[in-house]
Amino acid sequence: MPADNPFQDPLRFERRAPPCAVVIFGANGDLTKRKLLPALYRLAYDRRLAPEFAIVGTSRTPLTDDQFRDKMKESVAAFSEDTQLDEEVWKAFAEGLHYVAGDIGDAALFQRIGEKLAHIEEAHQTGGNVLFYLSTQPSQYAQAAQGIGAAGLQHGAGWRRLVVEKPFGHDLASARELSDRLHEVFDESDVYRIDHYLGKETVQNILAFRFGNGIFEPLWNRRYINHVEITAAESIGVEGRGAYYQEAGALADMIQNHLLQVMATIAMEPCASFRATSVRDERSKLLRSVKPMTADEIRQNAVAGQYGPARIGGEDVAGFRQEPGVNPASATDTYAAVTLFVDNWRWAGVPFYVRTGKRLPKRVTEIAIHFNQAPLSMFDGEIADGTPNLLIVRIQPEEGISLKFLSKRPGAGMKLRPVSMDFNYGSSFGERSPSAYETLLLDALLDDATLYTRQDMVEASWTVVEPIQNVWRSDSFDFPNYAAGSWGPAAADVMLARRGHTWRKP
Amino acid sequence: MAVAPPEKILKDLADLWVTTGKQEAGVEAHGVLRACTMTLIVVTEDRDDPAGLGETIAALMPEHPARTIVIRLTGAGERSICQRVFAQCWMPFGQRRQICCEQVEIACSDASLGDVPSVVLPLTVPDLPAILWCRSPRLLGMAEFPALAAVAHRVVVDSGALADAPVALRRLADEAARGMLLGDLAWTRLTRWRQTLAQVFEDPRHTASLTGDARITVCDAGAVTTQALYMAAWMAGALESVGVRSTVYIRTSTQRIFAELEYGDFHARLESHDGHLTATVDGLSHCTPLPTPNDYLLLREELGIPHADPVFASTLASAAQFAYATD
Repeated sequence: MPADNPFQDPLRFERRAPPCAVVIFGANGDLTKRKLLPALYRLAYDRRLAPEFAIVGTSRTPLTDDQFRDKMKESVAAFSEDTQLDEEVWKAFAEGLHYVAGDIGDAALFQRIGEKLAHIEEAHQTGGNVLFYLSTQPSQYAQAAQGIGAAGLQHGAGWRRLVVEKPFGHDLASARELSDRLHEVFDESDVYRIDHYLGKETVQNILAFRFGNGIFEPLWNRRYINHVEITAAESIGVEGRGAYYQEAGALADMIQNHLLQVMATIAMEPCASFRATSVRDERSKLLRSVKPMTADEIRQNAVAGQYGPARIGGEDVAGFRQEPGVNPASATDTYAAVTLFVDNWRWAGVPFYVRTGKRLPKRVTEIAIHFNQAPLSMFDGEIADGTPNLLIVRIQPEEGISLKFLSKRPGAGMKLRPVSMDFNYGSSFGERSPSAYETLLLDALLDDATLYTRQDMVEASWTVVEPIQNVWRSDSFDFPNYAAGSWGPAAADVMLARRGHTWRKP
Repeated sequence: MAVAPPEKILKDLADLWVTTGKQEAGVEAHGVLRACTMTLIVVTEDRDDPAGLGETIAALMPEHPARTIVIRLTGAGERSICQRVFAQCWMPFGQRRQICCEQVEIACSDASLGDVPSVVLPLTVPDLPAILWCRSPRLLGMAEFPALAAVAHRVVVDSGALADAPVALRRLADEAARGMLLGDLAWTRLTRWRQTLAQVFEDPRHTASLTGDARITVCDAGAVTTQALYMAAWMAGALESVGVRSTVYIRTSTQRIFAELEYGDFHARLESHDGHLTATVDGLSHCTPLPTPNDYLLLREELGIPHADPVFASTLASAAQFAYATD
């Protein structure tokens, strides 16, 4: 009996999802409107979904199927950044849109979802394949999974998978508890923890850059790399998410998940194959190798910040404590900078400076790899700062890779100046890049978990972050300690200065 | 007219970058970015829609930035060859810097075509693939074709534009057997058809039922084309790879174009009509738009494969066998 499709031609055929249904919990929420539906519509537009594809949206709001379709059409039209709404494509896509109203705490909701799925399986020939997507409040994840389990929806004629949005717990214990609750219903191999940073083209390109080329990997270690900076700066404030944000903070909201995953991608060992298990094993090993810090070390190597009011571009900008929904005495970190070390042979002694913050001067996410200086300076007075080689991996915006090196200045004499060699991802390849959610949703439908976070990775990340959280909770800070529109608190500069380094201003 | 010295063209290209850079520096000092992933050599007839070709190349550049060398065949006449260089630039949406690709245009009479390979060879970008697109079907029959093809890593032809399908396929199969890496736009036009059939077999029930003997019928409009031969050969090859023997029927019709696969109780039929492709499997039909692929769409797919294409290579060999059988 042939197991594989003999008609496949991977060189030419696009990856396409098999017939299936996606059940979205929280279908009336922002994530569904802004990201999920536009991504699924774009997949349909690109013919990446099977004609039998169906969606079941569910939330508390009572809606008919047609009302749900109308709302989703508005969302797709409003939030599809580079895709026009094609009436023909939408019409076919909308035929697969269904809605079931109800409360996640009500067992009857899951019975109704079960009935709807049975109907879809019959009418759409989905083969019983179902992807459950939890786009609800994090506090409802376990409840939703339990509801699925109680109704027996985790089993069926086809595959059943569960996608969970971050945050995966708020500390190590809660992350473990959440995993335990999910595992009561789904096997770990069927749980897809989504970290949309890993779905970004340029984060994936790090793997291609490192392991597809032979010239960089020999330099990718403590002998040649002096230090690494990972920056995720946002120019906006909390934008109406004040209530949520003050419970999370920059450390938990960004570093625990996105930036530690980026760091793992930059620093992981090569894997034997590009299979999900191999890649995730290496990422996990790297995260488990991050050196634990004592409380005193944390005070030296981690800086919390919170933005205060400022005037930017002629406009008054509120401080975090003045944002709607935020406690006027909030001690939440809107900025976090951490120095991490990796205890393995490749990276021992190389500082990884990771920072993120809101209301910084610009929106930029990048990795800067600082190489050691040449061992001998043979050009007299070449340049003031002895600029070493620098490799910049820009994740957003203007994704690309730049290598900075010294070159002779034209003219008489041997005067050097730094120049930059740029590879601009979006322009060297003018083709539209899929959004992170398109990539990740298609991966989940195709059972490819390479870019998803696994339980052990989540736990390893919390093992790094939780001690810092604990120290910050026990200490008191004189917040606000940086003005909106600046590059963060002075203490973050002091942290790097101790090792003779300075932050880049990207 | 004298043969254009390659050094002169290379110098013109270098000057082009300096000039373009200076022009940009005056505006907002974001400069220009040179993008190149391959050399694309296009051989076309001088009279054959130059504006359309220009648009096709311009559309291809953002995804497949290339140094493009367009060779325009001016036909019979005295030996003559002339060239010009220019840049094809675009400003990606939301970005501040222009991206530019180089284009070299060489016009030559048939009598001078023999001089062209020695001009083109030094113009190919080092260390990157060179792809020859034979837009002029006449080129395949010319004595200079092998020398020009030898400059490229891969040669893209359109057997659909050749008069005699069986002869064309045998010629291509012979070239492939001699080691030429080939692409054929007639094959590229089948991708949507093939993908639709492959999608049917994503259902494990259909894959599991692939046993015994099968019957393949391909019907083309008017006369047997290379596309029909390719489709039949590909289907038979895929079935053979899982141990299913097939009997192949290639027919012609004035109206219907379809491909049919039958074995046991299974029956699948792909049929095109009015810009749509209908797949009917065991009585259930599904219809999708089937736009006529233009040169841009076909080349876009082919340029994405700068190396060997094993599925096409094996299909070409089988299709050539069918071509002998149709004589």
